[in-house]
Amino acid sequence: MTLYCPVDLDVRTLRREIEAVYSRVATSPSEDFHFHRGPDYAASRLGYDAAELAALPPEVTASFAGVGNPHAIADLPEGTTVVDIGCGAGTDLLLAARRVGPAGRAIGIDMTEAMLTRAAAGAHLAGLTNVEVHEGDATRLPLADASVDVVISNGVLNLVPDKPSAVAEMARVLKPGGRVQLADILIAETLPDDALRDIDLWTG
Amino acid sequence: MLGTFAAGGFHDPRIVGRFDCFAGTSKERTARRYGVVGVNLLARRA
Repeated sequence: MTLYCPVDLDVRTLRREIEAVYSRVATSPSEDFHFHRGPDYAASRLGYDAAELAALPPEVTASFAGVGNPHAIADLPEGTTVVDIGCGAGTDLLLAARRVGPAGRAIGIDMTEAMLTRAAAGAHLAGLTNVEVHEGDATRLPLADASVDVVISNGVLNLVPDKPSAVAEMARVLKPGGRVQLADILIAETLPDDALRDIDLWTG
Repeated sequence: MLGTFAAGGFHDPRIVGRFDCFAGTSKERTARRYGVVGVNLLARRA
């Protein structure tokens, strides 16, 4: 990960803390966190289809921790290649795999090993053979140039200190005319420096 | 965020949905203080 941030945030500490928090989300999603998790939250607050979520392995949906709904933005056509940046335990990834069908590909990228393990196991349990997962971070995607039709992501870009590099990576891997369907958090106010340096706020 | 996408080679980035994703969490007060909301964003590669 390129180490860049508008304030002197300790990005190495941030990365370690993000990995620790989201490893816990993967393995112990019912623990206490300062953000919502799970399929009930996804359906009631973010507009996911409850029946679609119920059809996925509960080991996957229990660790869902998104902040919006990339699938509500536009349909994912059959046969297309979709990459989920920061796929976590795989809820959005497996929904994408169902939508693109056997002729398509759903590629999950995450930097947390526990999440990748859960996503791969979930794809197997769901009988989805068009899913692949890779370790990587948003500023260095392990994908070829112009190889993807749609980038999806949910609640990840806000965790990346070097956002311009992450966006440049999305542009690099997308085919011309491809699109980003991204959910993230937006901050209306300019944050004071002490808030920008607060690791606890970044990891939430 | 929109400016980052516009500068990064994307055409017409726009917010297409908003979510009160921190309501009911321990960070709800902080989110309201700084106007933090979940959003859906659509952008097309130029």
